[in-house]
Amino acid sequence: MTWHITPELARGYADGSAAGAPSSSVEAHLLACDACRGLVASEAPTGRLDSVWAEIQEQVDAPRPTWVERLLTRLGVSPADARLLAAAPSLQVSWLLGLMAVLSFAAAGAAASSDERGLRGFLLVAPLVPVIAVAGAYGRRIEPTYEVTQSTPYPTYRLLLLRVVAVLSVSVALTAVFSLFVDAGWMAMAWLLPSLAMVGVVLVLTRHMELPVAAGSVVAGYALAVTAMASRNEVVVVALAERTQLVSLSVAVACLAVVVLSPARRAAFRRFP
Amino acid sequence: MSPTVVVRDVTKRFAHTQALAGVTVEVSTGVTGLLGPNGAGKTTLLRILATVLGPDGGSVRTLGLDPADARDRTRIRRSLGYLPQEPGFQRGFSVFEFVDYVAILKELTPARRRHDEVRRVIAAVDLTSVSGKRVRALSGGMRRRVALAAALLGDPQLLVLDEPTAGLDPEQRLRFRELVSKAGEGRAVLLSTHQTEDVAALCHDVVVLHEGRVLFRGSPSDLAQRAAGHVWFAEDRDPRARIAWRTGDGAHRNLGDPPAGAVSVTPTLEDGYLLLVGARDEEAAA
Repeated sequence: MTWHITPELARGYADGSAAGAPSSSVEAHLLACDACRGLVASEAPTGRLDSVWAEIQEQVDAPRPTWVERLLTRLGVSPADARLLAAAPSLQVSWLLGLMAVLSFAAAGAAASSDERGLRGFLLVAPLVPVIAVAGAYGRRIEPTYEVTQSTPYPTYRLLLLRVVAVLSVSVALTAVFSLFVDAGWMAMAWLLPSLAMVGVVLVLTRHMELPVAAGSVVAGYALAVTAMASRNEVVVVALAERTQLVSLSVAVACLAVVVLSPARRAAFRRFP
Repeated sequence: MSPTVVVRDVTKRFAHTQALAGVTVEVSTGVTGLLGPNGAGKTTLLRILATVLGPDGGSVRTLGLDPADARDRTRIRRSLGYLPQEPGFQRGFSVFEFVDYVAILKELTPARRRHDEVRRVIAAVDLTSVSGKRVRALSGGMRRRVALAAALLGDPQLLVLDEPTAGLDPEQRLRFRELVSKAGEGRAVLLSTHQTEDVAALCHDVVVLHEGRVLFRGSPSDLAQRAAGHVWFAEDRDPRARIAWRTGDGAHRNLGDPPAGAVSVTPTLEDGYLLLVGARDEEAAA
């Protein structure tokens, strides 16, 4: 050993101000010299060491986002919101598989049927899929951490809306994909506006009742209306009628306005990092 | 020092059940135990204090704030840790992910500081070695500790713990006692339990609830003293005893009004509690 690190060089190396060549020499020397390792360690600024250690810890054991979280983050959702969304019961694989099974039966029935009955069946089922998915987005009996969530300062309505938007997007996209297998032109998409209108009504009703109860009420109302129409054999005609589409659009827009403009909903639209 | 929680004449009714019938309680810094048989109203009171439920009548002040007011309620929630009786979990999450999820709900930001806080509370409940494990893969006791870690997030001024030691083995219970005792240093902890030993070991104050009413408020030693002169051993069960059981060494521990000549023994908190609740049940039956 022909030389040792001077205190000045140790300080420069420890605080990062030493130039490249001397730093490389110091690193090579430290591998073989206990005394100089001690000197450099004593010069290392504690704050910097703590922040480096915290950075390492963050890189090593911070949770890896799930694929749902990564996808949502890529779509512009904040990582915190992505985590809250990933926990939505109706975004779990089992729920989605259930919805896909229902849709595949309805779409297969429509595709196999030679008359209008198949299409009628599909148009009866399809509007309900997003509503049922939304029902599973948040609620006392379906959210495992409901009790704890209620005791936190996080705005419940914001959580509910986040979940509903995510679940609605996924379920509408799924239903639209299955609609492609129904050979009925644009008629196969006639479920969309009635479905959005029903989800809108569900959201407005959540001011007075829990989400699953609101969704259940809307589904029950839909079933009654369909039963009444079925007695007159006019389901598909009604679904297709321009007036029905316009009414659905109006209801959806009105409900959206109620949700967005209501002062009590302001906290729901705060952005969380 | 003013109490952290002041509850005055609180009532709560569920359909045909009067869960709370005019409860008045104060909770101050340290650990306060809440004892009572099933259906006494403990969980209802805790849920009200955790702002999950609103009372039908009476008043609650928590940290000087009114939980009936929406803004105050949010401020209370920022200073509150709550461990429910049956804590649910996003079971697909790892321990870290679950606690981080609750940390997001507690509005801890930014992410880096939040993660540091998550690590701190996971270390506090001694689960660092399993922080990457799925919650569903943990034992019941470990899951309770995960829920306690979530309750400890943000160093809350008020901790509401509903039967945190239920279903734990003796070693886990001792570990929990240590955690709760530490948590009670400098903050108010309200602990509901069926375990009188936990109350005797941890609490500076105890409240006994029975059928929605407060039967007793005071120190654990005061509650134990209620049974002074009413506990004696005999070879057989004494017919005058309100409650009696055979102990491991074959003698019978009798609680009630002792016969002449019986030698009283030092009562425990459990004796005081059993006599208090037993007497009230007898009054109700009469």
